[in-house]
Amino acid sequence: MGIQLTPFNHEAGKGPDFAALSLPHFCLEYIHAFPQLRPMLSNAAIDGAGEDDRFRTTRWSVVLLSADGMGDDEKAREALEHLCRNYWRPVVAFIAREGQPVQNAEDLAQEFFLQLLRRNFLQQATRERGRFRTLLRASVRNFLNDASSKTKSKKRGGDFEFVTWDEWKAEAPSQLSIPAEVLEGWSSEQVFDVRWAATVAERALRRLQDECEKRGRRRVFDVLSPYLTAERSDISNDALAQTLGVKSADVKNLLHRMRQRYRQLLRDEVAETVDAPEEVEDELRYLVKALAAGM
Amino acid sequence: MSPLAFSDSLAALSAAPDECPSCHTVSHIARRLCLTCLLRAGAEETDNLESGEFERALDGVPMPDTNWRIGKYEILEEIGRGGMGVIYRARQRHSRRIVALKRILSYHADSQETLKRFRREAEAASSLDHPNILPIYEVDESDDGVPFFSMKFASGGSLHDVAPALRNDPREIVRLMAKVVRAVQYAHRQGILHRDLKPGNILLDGRGEPLVSDFGLAKWLDVSSDLTRTLTIFGTPGYIAPEQAVGRAAAITPAADVYSLGAILFDLLTGRPPFLGEHALAVIRQASEKTAPKLRSLGKGFDKDLETICARCLEREPTARYRSAADLAEDLERWLEGRPIIARPISPPVRLWRWSRRNPALAGSVAAALIIGGFAIGWQIQTRRLTRTVQEDILAARSVAVLPFLNLDTAQPDLEFAQSFANALRPKFAALGPARLNVVADSTVIIPSVGDLDNLRILNTRTGCQTVLWGTIRPFGSGWRVSARLSDVETGKSLFDCVKESLKPYPAREVAAATAQVLYDVLSDSHKAASAPADPALSDPAAHELLRAGDDLASHRTAVDIDRALACYQRAIELEPKSALARTSFVSETIARAQFGSGDSKLLDRATSLGREAVALSPQAAPTHRALAALFLYVRGDVAGAREESLRAVEVGTSGEGAALMGNVERARGRPDIALRWYSIAERWQGRPGGGVSAIGDAWAELAQDDRATEMYSRMAALHPELPEGWMGLCRLNLLEQNFSTARKFYQDNQKTYSQFPYTTQIAAQVEFFSRNFVEAEKLYRTMEQTDPGGGGSFYGAVDYESALGRIRLAAGDRTEALALLHRRLEVEKQPTQNSEMLYRLAAVESCLNEIAPALQYLRAAGDAGWVDYRSLALDPRFDSIRQDARFSRISEAMATRVASLRRRGQPLSDGQLTKTTNNER
Repeated sequence: MGIQLTPFNHEAGKGPDFAALSLPHFCLEYIHAFPQLRPMLSNAAIDGAGEDDRFRTTRWSVVLLSADGMGDDEKAREALEHLCRNYWRPVVAFIAREGQPVQNAEDLAQEFFLQLLRRNFLQQATRERGRFRTLLRASVRNFLNDASSKTKSKKRGGDFEFVTWDEWKAEAPSQLSIPAEVLEGWSSEQVFDVRWAATVAERALRRLQDECEKRGRRRVFDVLSPYLTAERSDISNDALAQTLGVKSADVKNLLHRMRQRYRQLLRDEVAETVDAPEEVEDELRYLVKALAAGM
Repeated sequence: MSPLAFSDSLAALSAAPDECPSCHTVSHIARRLCLTCLLRAGAEETDNLESGEFERALDGVPMPDTNWRIGKYEILEEIGRGGMGVIYRARQRHSRRIVALKRILSYHADSQETLKRFRREAEAASSLDHPNILPIYEVDESDDGVPFFSMKFASGGSLHDVAPALRNDPREIVRLMAKVVRAVQYAHRQGILHRDLKPGNILLDGRGEPLVSDFGLAKWLDVSSDLTRTLTIFGTPGYIAPEQAVGRAAAITPAADVYSLGAILFDLLTGRPPFLGEHALAVIRQASEKTAPKLRSLGKGFDKDLETICARCLEREPTARYRSAADLAEDLERWLEGRPIIARPISPPVRLWRWSRRNPALAGSVAAALIIGGFAIGWQIQTRRLTRTVQEDILAARSVAVLPFLNLDTAQPDLEFAQSFANALRPKFAALGPARLNVVADSTVIIPSVGDLDNLRILNTRTGCQTVLWGTIRPFGSGWRVSARLSDVETGKSLFDCVKESLKPYPAREVAAATAQVLYDVLSDSHKAASAPADPALSDPAAHELLRAGDDLASHRTAVDIDRALACYQRAIELEPKSALARTSFVSETIARAQFGSGDSKLLDRATSLGREAVALSPQAAPTHRALAALFLYVRGDVAGAREESLRAVEVGTSGEGAALMGNVERARGRPDIALRWYSIAERWQGRPGGGVSAIGDAWAELAQDDRATEMYSRMAALHPELPEGWMGLCRLNLLEQNFSTARKFYQDNQKTYSQFPYTTQIAAQVEFFSRNFVEAEKLYRTMEQTDPGGGGSFYGAVDYESALGRIRLAAGDRTEALALLHRRLEVEKQPTQNSEMLYRLAAVESCLNEIAPALQYLRAAGDAGWVDYRSLALDPRFDSIRQDARFSRISEAMATRVASLRRRGQPLSDGQLTKTTNNER
C-alpha cells in the first residue's frame, strides 16, 4: 500500500487563471473583401495545397514575371492581392511603430493596400527585384513619407475596403508575444521583419493544423504541436502516448513526421514570397537574425 | 510605445522576458512556441514530407476527433473553460461567420432546472442591444439538449490583456471606461445586473472598442462561481463589491456593479485591484473591512479627480457610492472634457456615518441626530432604509438552510435525512416562534468544512438564509450516530453542535426532538451559543512556552529533535494535566518519530494512552481524534480503530485533513472506491485543488484504472515538481504493467534529483526486485538499510528490506544468511492483526521460508482484510514458492474480481467530481 505519512501536507498548487477568459489567438488567413477573390475561397489553391510545381509558380515569381512583361497580368494581380492579404500585419505593425495609434495605423494600412494594388506596383518590382518582404517594407516607408497619403487617409478608404479588420482578425488571430523592453529597442523595419517572421510561422502552423483536422486528427495537432521545437529530452513520449492512445514508439515517429511536414510547409510559405527556391534558406536565415537583433 | 502594442496586429507585450532555453531569444507565438526555433526548424536538413505521407501517419492514430460540431456551428478551437462552461471559437456553417460559442459542460447538464435557468438568463442577456455590449447572436441547444449561445467573437482580447499597454495613458483608460459604464447603465435600465465586472470580461473588438460581455451570465462560466460543486463566491475577488461577497442575493443592487467598475478603473490606472491578498477570502475580507487605498497613496502623478472618482465607487457602503452608473459615466465624461467632476472627496457626514458603523451601539443615536439635525433628504431615506434592513435582518437571523447530511459510511450526501430532519423540526419551531427552514434540495451539495466562510456565504446567497444546519450520519454499532451543526453564514461561527447516538434507524425525529429548543434559542440570540473552552495549556504561560518549543524542535524533523520535542510535551502535560492539546502534540510527534525506526513499544503505548485521554478530555476537538486515528493507522496498524477515530474527527469538525485521513483509512481497509470520494471531498474542504492528487492516483491505481491514475500522477508531477510522488506513481504503474524498461527509466531519470526523499530508492529497488534483476536490487536494499532504516514494508507493494534481501540471498544460494534474515523478519511480523498489509507481509515471509500452508492462509486473510494489490502479488518474487499452487491463483483471482466490482461501484460519483478538477487544470 502506498500510504505515506504526509499525504496532505503539500502546499496546494495553483491552477491556471481561469478568471480572465480572454479571447484566443490562432492563425488562419481568409479573404473577404475582393469580389474577384471570392471564388478562391473554396479553392484549396488558396493555401497552396496541391501546387506541386510551387517553385516555378510561387506567387511572388508570378508577380515578377508579369512585371518583366512575360506573365499574365490578371494572375499577377491576384497573386499580389493574396500576398498582401497574408502579410497585412507587418504593414500595420510598421505604421504603428512609426507612432500611429492602432486605429490610424489600420486606416493607413487600408489606404496603403488600395494604393499598392491600384498603382503600378509591378513596375517598381521590376526595378528593384528582391523579395516581396523587402519590397513591401520599402513601399510602406515610401507611402508614409508621402505627406499627401497621410492626409488622404482621413477619408478612411472610401466605400471600397481591402481589409475588413474585424473579420480578418477573427479568422486569423495571432498570438505573438514580445517583452516590452525588447520591442522598445526595435526600429520600425525590425518590427516589420519580426511581425513577418511570426506570420510565416503562424501560417505554416495553421496549415499543419488544417491538414490534421482534415484527417479528423485535430487532437494530434493540439497534443503534439507544443513539442515541434522541443529538445527530445524535454518530451515524455509515454505521457503523450497515453494521451493519444498510441504506443510510445509511435509518438516519436508521429512527432518526427509532424516536424518534417511542418518544415515543408514553412519552406513552402517562405517560397511564396521569394523569387527562386534557393532563396528560401537565405530568407529563413535572415528572419532568424532579425529576431535575435537588438537583444 | 503605449497603446499600439496591444493590438494583435503587432504583438502582445509580455511583462518579463521569457527566454527560450535552447536559443535564448524571447519572442513567442501561441502554445509558447519559440519563434526563432520555429524558423530555424525550416533550415534544418531533413527529408521533405509530402502531405499524403503525413496523412497516412495521422491515420495511424486510433482516436479520430469527435464532437467538433454543436448545432449549426463548426467548432474551431477551445478558447476558455470555467467551472461549468466552456467557450469555443466556432464558425457558423452557412454564413461562415466566426463566433464565440459558450455552452455548459455536459456533466453539469444533469438537472433540467439548471438548463432552464441557463437558457433563461442567456435569453435575457441576448435582449441587450448596445454598441458596447458584446452581442449574443443566438441561444439554442445542441442535439444532446444542452443549451449554448453564440456571440460576437471579439478579436482584440480583453482589458485584462491590454492593461499593461494602457497603464500610462489615463485619458485612454477613462475614454474606454466611460463607454463601458454607459453600456452597464443601459443594461441596468433594462433591469439586468452584470454581477461580475472585471477586466477579463470587458472584451475589445478589432478596433479596440470595448464590449462588455457575460451580463448576468458570468456565474455559468466563471470557475470561481461554480455553486453546487466548489461552493465559492459569485464574482471575482478584487473586483466584487463587499456586500456581494458577504451577502444576500436580494441586497445586490446596481451599486455592486458601480463598485466593480471603480475597481476596474483603479486596476487599469495603478496596475493592481484595490485589495490584494494571499487568497480570495483575504481579499474579500479586506474589501469588507478596510477603506480602499487612495490612488495617490500608490504613486505620485495620479490625478486627484480620478482618485475621488475611484474612491466614490469603492465606498464600502453601497449607498455612499455613485447613485447609478449614469452618475459615474457623467463624472468620467466631465473629466475627459476638462470640466469639474461632481463627486467630492468624502464629506464629514459620510465620515460620521462610517464612524457610527464601526460603533454599532451608537448607530441609532447618530441616525437620530442626522434626522433631527435636518441633514439632506437623502440621509433620511437612507435611515429609513436602514430600519427596514434591520427588521429584515432579524427575520433572516431565524432562517435556516438545511444541507444534505453527509453519510460517513459511503462518503455520499444524504438528502433524505436532511428532509426528514427539517420536517421534524418545523412543527417544533412553529410552536416556539417565527422561523424559516429551507432544505437545499440538491444531493450534489457536499457540506462545507467548518468555518469555511466562502462556502457558507454562497449558501446564504443561494437560500437567503442567515444560518446553515448541516451534519453527518452513519451506522454505529447496532444503531446510528448523527452529528449536527448550526453555523452563522456571516461569521462562519458555529452556533451549536452536537453528536447524538440512537438505536432507532435513521433517527431524524429523535435528533430533532432533542435539539429543537436549543437550536431555536441560539437562532433568536446568537449570544447564547456556547463556545468551546480554551485548552488549559494555552492559558498557562509556562506550558504554552513548552508547547511552542516542542513544535519548533519537531519542525527540524530529525530523530533527536523529535525526542526532545516529546520531552517538552511531556513536561507540558505534567504542568497542565488536563491539556488535550499537549497530549495531541505528543501523539502527532510519536507518529513522526516512528518514521525513523519502529520506535520502542513503550513510547507507542504511552502515546496511545495519551491519545485516548486527549479524546476523552476534548471530545469536540477534531485534531485530537485525528492524531489518535493517525497513530492507529500509520503506526499501530489498527485500521478499525483508525476508522472510528477518523469518523469522529469528521463528525465534530469537517476539515480537509479529516477527509484525507478518511481516504487513507478506506484504502487501508480495501475500499479505494470510497477513498476516492473522500479525497474529492478533501479537495473541496481544503478549498483548493492539488493537495491530494497523488493519493487519488494511488486509489485509481488500486482500482486498476491506470489511465486515470496516470492522469493524476502527471498532474501531480506538474503541480508539485518539488515532490517525487508524481513520477514515482508513473514509475510504479509501468512496473505493474510490466513495462520494466520504462519503469526503470522513470527512476533513473528522476531519483538523483530527489535524493532528499529516501523513499524514492524504494521504488527503484522494487523495480529491480520485481523485474528480477536481483544483483541491482540487493545493492539498493542494502543502501536503504543505511539511509532509511525506518522505511520499507508500508511502501507500495509492502516489501520490507529483510524479506526482500532474504529472497535475493536464497536465489543466490546463500541459505544461511537468507534464513537468518527471514526468521528475524518473522519475529517482527508475527503478531495478531487484522491489518491487510501486515498479513500480506507475513504471508510473504512465510512464502520465502517455503511454509506453504501458513503463507496461503495469511495471504487469504490479507485478501479478506482488504488487500487489493493483486498486480504486485503477481510480480513479487517472494511469492514464487506458492505461485504455482491452485489456491494461490484462486486468492489472486478473488482480489482481481473484487477490484473489478469496486471499480464499478466507485465510478459514478467520482466521475463528475474528479473530471471537473482535471478539466480545470487544462
